[in-house]
Amino acid sequence: MIVNGAARRPRTDAKRSSSLEEMALLDRVRRKDLRAFERLYRIYQPRLARFLFNLVQRPQLVEEVLNDTMMVVWDTAGRFRGNSKLSTWVFSIAYRKAIKAKLRWPDPVEEPALDTRVSNDPAPDEELDQRRLHDALIGAMSQLSADHRAVVDLTYFHGLGYREIAEIMNCPVDTVKTRMFHARRRLRQAMSGSLFDWI
Amino acid sequence: MAKTSHDQADELLPWYATGQLEPADRALVEGHLVSCARCQRQLAAERALVDQFQAFSPEVDSGWAELRGRIESRPPARPSIADSLRDFWHALTRPVLAAFAAAQLTLVALAALLFQSLSQPTYVALGSAPVAASANVIVMFRPDAREAELRRAIQSTGATLVGGPTQADAYLLHVEPGARPAALQKLQQDSRVTLAQPIDGPAQ
Repeated sequence: MIVNGAARRPRTDAKRSSSLEEMALLDRVRRKDLRAFERLYRIYQPRLARFLFNLVQRPQLVEEVLNDTMMVVWDTAGRFRGNSKLSTWVFSIAYRKAIKAKLRWPDPVEEPALDTRVSNDPAPDEELDQRRLHDALIGAMSQLSADHRAVVDLTYFHGLGYREIAEIMNCPVDTVKTRMFHARRRLRQAMSGSLFDWI
Repeated sequence: MAKTSHDQADELLPWYATGQLEPADRALVEGHLVSCARCQRQLAAERALVDQFQAFSPEVDSGWAELRGRIESRPPARPSIADSLRDFWHALTRPVLAAFAAAQLTLVALAALLFQSLSQPTYVALGSAPVAASANVIVMFRPDAREAELRRAIQSTGATLVGGPTQADAYLLHVEPGARPAALQKLQQDSRVTLAQPIDGPAQ
């Protein structure tokens, strides 16, 4: 009995259609076309903001690191040769900047934001379960180190393969696999009693 | 110590679940899954995690929590533009001010200047960029919304983009006042939109 393959692919449809547009924009960015750069910025901002927040966890720092990253893209667009995907290149710059920023600003002491809305009407069971799962995931992620969080986020949300993650994080492929292995174990522990109960 | 084939397959399960394995790796995992119930269960858990992560947006949660906190800690409502304008015109009927206006500035110019400062939105706190006086709608989109979707949403309401994205990732629009209710309704119905509110109120 062969078990069916991939679950819903995160973001790959977006990846395919955007890469041509992104390369065209980058070409204009090389010629210092500011409007093209703005478009590229708006394309990358959501993904980068998410990736960076996951890493540095301070909202104000996210914007600073994001803009520092895109500044490098603007300044060094000419150096990108297409050896990797544009997104890999941008994310690897972002990762480097984030790690440097974290050295200046260690992880915040306060808990990550939880949805603390209190509802007076009895929530339907499904909604309550979702919220519990959501909170469990937030709590679990907060207990991981930045590098573990990065691997988890890049895999499950950004939908990247381990080779690409290794490029972005500038580490061996085996390190990515090991980090993921340990992260999954921690996530399992932290989320026991919610997500993994019904498996 | 060499990894067992079980360990090798287990290690690759997350990327198998997201469809990101090269053919050789995929074959390894599938070959192992046939006979390993534990890995089959683990694969189901991985898929559940993938689903969870699609809905998981800590940066949005954090941004929203901060903004909600600001709104909830605000002082009670201020007088509307209409009230402030009424006060202004009332003041102008007093001899001293009327004389000043007539002597130094045209009444129209003074009214225009004051009206502009009175109508400045109070959402300045949402971003470090200065807010144009003509912004009368604030809209926020889902973090995974694409640029084309933003453009379509804004254009379909006949609005123009005045400012943003702000630090809270909000966009400031201008819509003709008469068209604003319909525009807000249209935006609120857009599945890409997480918030669409009018901007009114005098400056602080």
